[in-house]
Amino acid sequence: MAESDRNRGSGKAIVAEHLFKVFNTTKGILRRTKTQVVAVKDVSFEVDYGELFGVVGPNGAGKTTTIKMLTTMLIPTSGKATVLGYDCEKDVTRVRERIGIVLGGERGLYTRVSAVDNLNYFADLYGVPANIRDKRVKELLDFMGLTDRARDRVETYSKGMRQRLHLARGLINDPDIIFLDEPTVGLDPEISIETRRMIKELIEKGKTILLTTHYMFEADELCKRVAVIRNGEIVALDSPSGLKKYVRDTSVVEVVGYGITEKEVARFKEIQDVVSVSADLGEDKQVLKLQTPKGSEIIGEVQQILKNSRIYDIKIKEPTLEDAYLRLIES
Amino acid sequence: MSMPDPFRVVYSAFRMAMLHWMADPQWVIPNIIAPFVFTTVALTLFKDATGPFGLYAVLGGGMMGMWGNTIYSSGFAIEFERWQGTLEEVIAAPSKLIHVITGRAVSNALFGLTNMIAILVIAVGGFRVSLGITDPLMFAVSLLLTLLSVSALGLIFASAFILSRSAQVLTNGLETPLYIVSGSMFPIALLPFWIHPAAYILGPTWGVDAIRLATSADYVSQSFWAGMSPGMAIFLDLTVMVLITLAYVAIATVLFKLVERRARVTGSMVQA
Repeated sequence: MAESDRNRGSGKAIVAEHLFKVFNTTKGILRRTKTQVVAVKDVSFEVDYGELFGVVGPNGAGKTTTIKMLTTMLIPTSGKATVLGYDCEKDVTRVRERIGIVLGGERGLYTRVSAVDNLNYFADLYGVPANIRDKRVKELLDFMGLTDRARDRVETYSKGMRQRLHLARGLINDPDIIFLDEPTVGLDPEISIETRRMIKELIEKGKTILLTTHYMFEADELCKRVAVIRNGEIVALDSPSGLKKYVRDTSVVEVVGYGITEKEVARFKEIQDVVSVSADLGEDKQVLKLQTPKGSEIIGEVQQILKNSRIYDIKIKEPTLEDAYLRLIES
Repeated sequence: MSMPDPFRVVYSAFRMAMLHWMADPQWVIPNIIAPFVFTTVALTLFKDATGPFGLYAVLGGGMMGMWGNTIYSSGFAIEFERWQGTLEEVIAAPSKLIHVITGRAVSNALFGLTNMIAILVIAVGGFRVSLGITDPLMFAVSLLLTLLSVSALGLIFASAFILSRSAQVLTNGLETPLYIVSGSMFPIALLPFWIHPAAYILGPTWGVDAIRLATSADYVSQSFWAGMSPGMAIFLDLTVMVLITLAYVAIATVLFKLVERRARVTGSMVQA
């Protein structure tokens, strides 16, 4: 990247300044009623060159809308977004030329044609010169381990192969900044690990990455800083270790048992000293995580509430980024 | 990074669309089987008809099928990207969306030709209908230019799809009036006088005239350029059509710019 790029604007790779996005929707045929949905409220942050910045939050929190404003696909209702010093509303082509986008999920590829056809096509759409295109497509296929299947139709690919092809497509213009929107969503653990390894390699190559994810361990492992977004607003922005400070005063009581229902979960939420409750109510076993400043002192109360259930194990743990996230989201 | 070359983008989108046509044999149904059935029925019903039957029933039917395919598919190009789940990736690229859709529209137009060819083969080969094309070269040129004109019209429809998925109602609703107004099935002279201005601003109207002139030199007396030589009449038809087509392209370019910005405000092209 040229030094002039780094000095343009604020000298930051990405700047979001008081971004708002409001969607208008209409309902009904004869009596049409208009409603407004505020998807993003006053979101501000800056991302340094070479940084891997995370945005985490539950579904519908505004992560994807924020990414789409930063990638020029949406115009903010108010506020300003700049990427590489270029205005995302006005300097659309300049921004698009320099960024790569990988949206999660299985869509986003032409499945009836081959990986090579997909990559060649997007290379042309990004204005990659013909003499560079073939070399880059080959390099990307090698990097993603797709060379052997490069001429096969994408519809015959596994989920992991498609995800790797997504990443290759997002890198076809050798972007300075890469936006990764939930790149590991729906992938099995092995492929997720592989995807995270590739993301680390991109950072080592000097790329700037903005990553949205549902998975806190992923944000913890990869990101230098993380913004937690809830109902369209940033409720915390810090390094993963800084975010864990939000729950430094608490411990996590993890209960594994059988016969635990929503009713018991609701009772735990009513306990004053329990700051957050998360529950995975599986069929074979249920796992509860209670954040509390009382630590082991609460075990008696836990056993009382679960007297009609079978308790397999109770552990007191140090809080993780996920616990910090849950506390921020639920507070 | 250089700016995407518009011609390269158009070609690449054209190639991608062709690859999809090849990969999906469903096109055989609207482009070969349906015209085969309809032409067979029409030619069986009117086998004893006299007069310029070939000009109107066979060529008209062929053109209808061909244009229907082209207008529908061109307008539907945005929706195709939505179905594939690639619309966001395409609009996020620095190339202009209109260049991508133009490539697809031209590809659809070429595939639309199969419709016409199927009908001609059935009529001439199966039913021994004599079309007596007097100027095969001008027939081919007129046909291709008309297809490009229809593709340009399709671009205008495509811009509506950027704003709403409901734009399908627009293309479906306008398809039949377009056949009638452009004089594909019967002469414009038979239409009420007040419809004539609408016919004149449609590029395909002039294309139809040129195609008929290339098919039959006698048709010149019924054409827009009665009294001129068939060669000059075809030239004038094609000139007017090219000018109208350029106007369509200019209108589509402005519309794309306007609706793309509008879509970035409303979010109609993305899943937020």
